[in-house]
Amino acid sequence: MAKQDRGLTRIELLQGTLDLIILQTLRWGPRHGYGIAQMIRASSRDVLQVDTGSLYPALHRLEKSGAIEAEWETSENRQRVRVYRLTAAGRKQLAAERSRWEQLTEAMTGILAPPVPEAET
Amino acid sequence: MIALWRRQRRDLELNEELDAHMRMAIEERVAHGEPREYAERAARREFGNLGVVKEVTREMWGGGWLERLVQDVRYGARTLRRSPAFTIVALSTLALGIGATTAVFTVVHAVLLRALPYPRSDRLMLLAYDFPNSPFITEGGISDRQWADARSRFRTFARVAAMTPGLVTLTNAGDPVRLQEASVAAGLFETLGITPALGRTFRPDDERIGGEPVVILGDALWRERFGADSTVVGRPITLDGVRHTVAGVMPPRFAYPLDARLWRPLRIQLAPNRFQMLSVVGRLRDGATRAQAIAELDAFAAADRGRDSVVARVTPLKDTVVGDVTRSLLVFAGAVGLVLLIACANVANLLLMRATSRRREMAVRAALGAGRPRLVRQLVTESALLWVAAGIAGVGVAAAGVRALLALAPTGRIPRHGEIGVDATALAFALGVSLATGLVFGLIPAMRATRSSVRDALASTARTMTGRDGRLRGALVVAEIALALVLLTGAALMVESFIRLRRVELGFRPAGLALLTVDLPPSTYPSSAAMQTAHQAVLDRLGRIRGVESASAVNFIPLGGAMIRGDFKVDGKTIPPGYLVAKPSVAPGYFRTMGIGLRLGREFTAQDAASSPPVAIVSQSVARQIWPGTNPVGRRISNKDVPGPGDWLTVVGVVDDVGQTSIDTHREPAIYLPIRQLTQPFFLEHMSFVVRAVGDPARLLPAMRHALRDVDPNQPIGSIGTMESAISATVAEPLFQARLIAAFSVVALVLAAIGIYGVVAYSVAERTHEIGIRVALGAARANVVGMVLRRVLVLVVPGVTLGIAGALATTRVLSSLLFEVRPNDPITFTGVAAMLGAVAIVAGLVPARRASRVDPLVALRAG
Repeated sequence: MAKQDRGLTRIELLQGTLDLIILQTLRWGPRHGYGIAQMIRASSRDVLQVDTGSLYPALHRLEKSGAIEAEWETSENRQRVRVYRLTAAGRKQLAAERSRWEQLTEAMTGILAPPVPEAET
Repeated sequence: MIALWRRQRRDLELNEELDAHMRMAIEERVAHGEPREYAERAARREFGNLGVVKEVTREMWGGGWLERLVQDVRYGARTLRRSPAFTIVALSTLALGIGATTAVFTVVHAVLLRALPYPRSDRLMLLAYDFPNSPFITEGGISDRQWADARSRFRTFARVAAMTPGLVTLTNAGDPVRLQEASVAAGLFETLGITPALGRTFRPDDERIGGEPVVILGDALWRERFGADSTVVGRPITLDGVRHTVAGVMPPRFAYPLDARLWRPLRIQLAPNRFQMLSVVGRLRDGATRAQAIAELDAFAAADRGRDSVVARVTPLKDTVVGDVTRSLLVFAGAVGLVLLIACANVANLLLMRATSRRREMAVRAALGAGRPRLVRQLVTESALLWVAAGIAGVGVAAAGVRALLALAPTGRIPRHGEIGVDATALAFALGVSLATGLVFGLIPAMRATRSSVRDALASTARTMTGRDGRLRGALVVAEIALALVLLTGAALMVESFIRLRRVELGFRPAGLALLTVDLPPSTYPSSAAMQTAHQAVLDRLGRIRGVESASAVNFIPLGGAMIRGDFKVDGKTIPPGYLVAKPSVAPGYFRTMGIGLRLGREFTAQDAASSPPVAIVSQSVARQIWPGTNPVGRRISNKDVPGPGDWLTVVGVVDDVGQTSIDTHREPAIYLPIRQLTQPFFLEHMSFVVRAVGDPARLLPAMRHALRDVDPNQPIGSIGTMESAISATVAEPLFQARLIAAFSVVALVLAAIGIYGVVAYSVAERTHEIGIRVALGAARANVVGMVLRRVLVLVVPGVTLGIAGALATTRVLSSLLFEVRPNDPITFTGVAAMLGAVAIVAGLVPARRASRVDPLVALRAG
């Protein structure tokens, strides 16, 4: 059961949302896959856990579309790691997706807020 | 290539990237104070299925459909390699089915479908007149007189050319050899649109009587006998003892008409008592139709003599070349198609079973985001891969199969055999068939495997299958049984027919007889007296061979493929209209040697010679028909239409009827004449010497050859062998048909048995748990066997029922190939159904017995 629920969450995150999160994360500088996962987890206060089965496909997809680019670098503990960085196109995409996301949240807030201020669970 | 290499590098990089991720995760946990061992396990758990992550990530590289296809194919190949047993069984089954189908297709295509190898061959027609009311059985044709009259008057044909086949003896070029030749009008090669490889074709002046003898060689003859010498043109060769100048050489594989090895100009000498039938081939003028050509031919015949019983016929040349082999080739094609269907059904069944056990894999991949179309595509690619691999292997099977088919086929019975080979079309056919069947038979299991919901699949164990799958698999096996039954019934009918054919009473005793046939060329033996002298010399030598009981000769041996037939006159009586008899001419001692019973009177003796009164011997049915109830010995008959005083023959004996033309026509009436009283050389040229041996007739053959060489060292042997092998040769075609269909049906039977075994074994395997409980609760072994066999019967009963219905509907196409067996022969049907049922039950019994030995403890624990 648990397995399946995680699958569902992931599917919801997939495409738009996950892409936005990854792009946003890379705004603070180049990072490898593991670093991105850790960062997402930390900045969402452990709410979002991106599993590798979604993260790497998403990274490779973004790389293919040209939003990010990858390079092999040597990490602090002298391990070869693949580091992703935002491209100019990626920055543009991030801006666009951000504004779309903001519109969406605004709209959602608009829909959810006025009538009955119900508590969120 | 570069794309592939780049992909491999990318694969390696992905491995490294994910590996780094894993190590960092572990390091971090260790840094937080977790024990390394625990950290490793936790990180791995968190990471998930490494293989699947790679798989899904790789899909993102995607790119073109081609790249995705390559990816699918690689994945499929990996999966197939992982289960070698499944792959080998499926591959060999399919390769066999596709190979056999391709082999038969290759032959059918070369013989029936492909156009003749002449330019615009659809415009080529064979012209003939039929004489439907004639007392003579003729194949129709155009007489030499009609040809001479009409050849320059055709409006509907751009070109026409006449020809007539024959035999000629080649000497002074290796051993003397008897060759198929054709005398052809100038313009035959131009009509067909063939240019010679060397030299020239015939010119109109080559047709002049008394002109220089010229010859055109076929490619094969040129290679065999003249070492492919390009300077052969203009050189002399000896045919029937006459010097001929080589005018040209034909290109490879050209052989028309029949299997002509060489061609000579047709030289027509019109004379009041001579009459020759010719074959005429014509190329329709552009815009002219077949109907117009028939009308034109009809007009010629009407103007010619106003005869009402002449019917003009214009047939596409291809139909006449292919002839009567069409039906048996189509039967083979149908049979092999059934084998292919059964093979495909079997493999589809295997795929279904496999799909059931791979349901978990599918579910996991689905849970990780692979959509159903993606999974279906993957599975279909996998089975298409299987089918294409089998198709490639099948081409090898087909190449061997075509060779075997042509080697097994009776010589001369497959027309155009020089053109047959596994070519690009056959390759395309094999791949097309593999892809089409692969997609159809692969799609069904793929749809099944991916239909169930993720939750169901993950919750259930890998071994269970849904009732739906079971029903589909059962249906496939039922279809297999039905198809196999149709094939087996056809095969049984053919075999039964063949056995009856061999049991036919011929009217003579073939055992112990040896046979030597020669054709004396008129150029070397210009008179009947010269031929009769040679015959006597050969007979004398044959009679002196040790181990020969008696020796004799006949011009047209029973079952020898040629026979003279005609009507006759009876002194003081008229014979019924259309009553025709065979008219062989024989040497003294013929009936004794052949073992043909003498009923009344006497045999011919050495005294029945040119100078003595002409005599004849009639067969029993002639005696009964013409002189019922009275003794015909001493009566007079004649072969002349208007007999003069010297033309009457006195009947001196009555013998049994003999099957003259072929084994499957009934014994027929005959009138025999003594060869020494024949005056026309034509009836003496072709002669078969028969000897009755004391022991094995095959031992006499070398001495018989020697006897002929003693008389004329330049005379080639037409054929030599025992009478029994000659008879076998006449039934070679039905034997070949029966063997081939039987081989196909045995393959079908084995495949169907495997199919039944597979389904029953699988259902036993998945019910092991249940069977264990039953045994534990006290079910007897017999009950368990019975339970499994019921599952077999559920498959067999509808399969056999459907099969019988199918066989009843389809065996009718065999009726023209059957001898004395009706296509719905009830005994054959019952026997085959019973046999198939028995095989099915045996195939089911193996897993049933295994089920009955199930150890309840083991079974329950396994469940």
